[in-house]
Amino acid sequence: MASRSSALVRPAAFRSVGRSVLLTLPIALWSLVMFTPSLRQAGRDSHIGAVVVMLFMTTLFFLMMRTGETYRWRRIFFVALGFLFPFGFIAALVVQRGTMSIPISRMVSGDTPFCFMVTPSIILPAAFARTIIFPGSILPTASNHASIAIMIGLWFALTLVLGKAWCSYACFFGGIEEGFAAIAKRRRLHRFVTKYGHILRLIPWAILVFVVLVSAAIFEPVYCMWLCPFKAVTEFPAVRNVETAIQMGIFVALFIGLVVVLPFLTKKRTQCGFFCPFGAFQSLFNKIHLFEIRFDREKCVDCALCQTSCPTVALSKESIREGKTLLNCMKCGACVDACKKDAAVWHLKGTPVAVKPERARLLFLYGAWAMATMFGGSILANSVATMLHWLPWK
Amino acid sequence: MPALSFSASAGEALVLGLATGPVCLATCGPVVVPWLMVQPQGVRLHSRQLGLFLAARLAGYMVFAAAVWLAAAAIPHAWTGRSWLMGGIELLLAAGLVVYAVGWPHRRCVAAKATSSLVQIGDAPPPQPSGALALGFLTGINLCPPFLVAGVRAAQLPSLSASLLFFLFFFAGTVVWFLPFLSLGLVRRTPAVVTVARMVAVLLACWYGFSGVSILIERAIHG
Repeated sequence: MASRSSALVRPAAFRSVGRSVLLTLPIALWSLVMFTPSLRQAGRDSHIGAVVVMLFMTTLFFLMMRTGETYRWRRIFFVALGFLFPFGFIAALVVQRGTMSIPISRMVSGDTPFCFMVTPSIILPAAFARTIIFPGSILPTASNHASIAIMIGLWFALTLVLGKAWCSYACFFGGIEEGFAAIAKRRRLHRFVTKYGHILRLIPWAILVFVVLVSAAIFEPVYCMWLCPFKAVTEFPAVRNVETAIQMGIFVALFIGLVVVLPFLTKKRTQCGFFCPFGAFQSLFNKIHLFEIRFDREKCVDCALCQTSCPTVALSKESIREGKTLLNCMKCGACVDACKKDAAVWHLKGTPVAVKPERARLLFLYGAWAMATMFGGSILANSVATMLHWLPWK
Repeated sequence: MPALSFSASAGEALVLGLATGPVCLATCGPVVVPWLMVQPQGVRLHSRQLGLFLAARLAGYMVFAAAVWLAAAAIPHAWTGRSWLMGGIELLLAAGLVVYAVGWPHRRCVAAKATSSLVQIGDAPPPQPSGALALGFLTGINLCPPFLVAGVRAAQLPSLSASLLFFLFFFAGTVVWFLPFLSLGLVRRTPAVVTVARMVAVLLACWYGFSGVSILIERAIHG
């Protein structure tokens, strides 16, 4: 294995091809297992979609192994997921009901796919009143596989193992803003974000508490009904009166502001870092799971490259001085890849810091990429199949 | 016989309070949580503040009990002024949260001395009894569902004292559900925690303000 120490320019090949292929084999096999159901489905589009995404996910993992970089390759997957998820979702809605809006009658009948974002809001009403305040069905139905039980079960199992990595490897919303952040040539508003980062990163916690309290008080998933920026590109209540028109206005304004304009200006994931209550909820799991990013203080020269590169302002000067990230770190790997002194390292809790960090990275990536393949990969495959189905010359 | 009817009525009120307590907890939570979280740490201090809050809430209950009995009408559905009252209370709650949880009038003095007002956002203000009393009274007369149920029953009782006693026992039943709020006194008050509590208070003030204005506009349009 080539050394990564103190290289100002990262070596082109971190591992040999053979070794990288060997390390990629488990993910290739996992992808095969995950996409076998799609391969068994009738229809050439589904087969092509599954094969393309299987190769896509495996190739990206191979490149992570080969180059030693995480962020760049993860971002390709994540942005693809972010942009293809709404495409596939909207296409399915249009085919099923001819519109993106959902009438109240369909909502009441439990025909809404469960979105993990609503999870924190349903806890208190479920505990006190044994009522799930979301109009979905608890168990899967013929028309709705994304039932409440399946989505929460999956999310909980994955989060216990990987902590807030969900936000960087499985969330199908974050990729949209990461895409807009990536296309900007330079960082604007950098001084503002640096100066007020300590306040901005508290906003998701405030929104989380607000959403939990009000949802319990009025027995409605307040985030879904009023604050979700992604309603603008997925499914929203049909505009029938002033109230739903205001809701729609809020969705669109939040989407344009937090998911398009601010990420482009700041090169940060502003919705994830400064707004998302589910992200704040996920941060709690960073306390108990196994993997984290640490800083080797002997190598660190306080250049703040890691802090600048962090897409969610999960680093502060104080936290770096303590050798840790803040609670809202989503393990995207940007700081590790940006560090020219190899001071930022992957770390498995309970082991010495900066001793065999690549082993910790590997263990983490196997889990995270398996989750990405299972969750995001299947969404990507469906979206690719839909795109092929809709090709104009077919 | 009157003794039996009194104990039956008191028992009914107590059980109603206990049974609907979680709804009271959920309805008052948005006011109590941010307001308590901006107070300094300490269970004793929280007990005192919560005690004042509950006393003011009881006063609100008594006023409401007297009003429903004197009006001899079932306020919940038939009373035409209900929307005005609800809208007005929500606007007052919004103002109460801004004044007592965010502490804007207090912050003006602090900001004058500080280099940056945002630096001061995390400091906990001194506890104000008037905040407990105002917010407690407003939540006491807020027309939440269990309260309306109790109001219907109290309006049917034969005397004003019976109506007041009904609400007293109903209040006693709901109070048990407020005890968990004392645990907020154990949470360490870092500047981040107080800042988040203040942000929550602002968000909730916006929510109550929006809700109050919506109710009033709807009432004004539809009569």
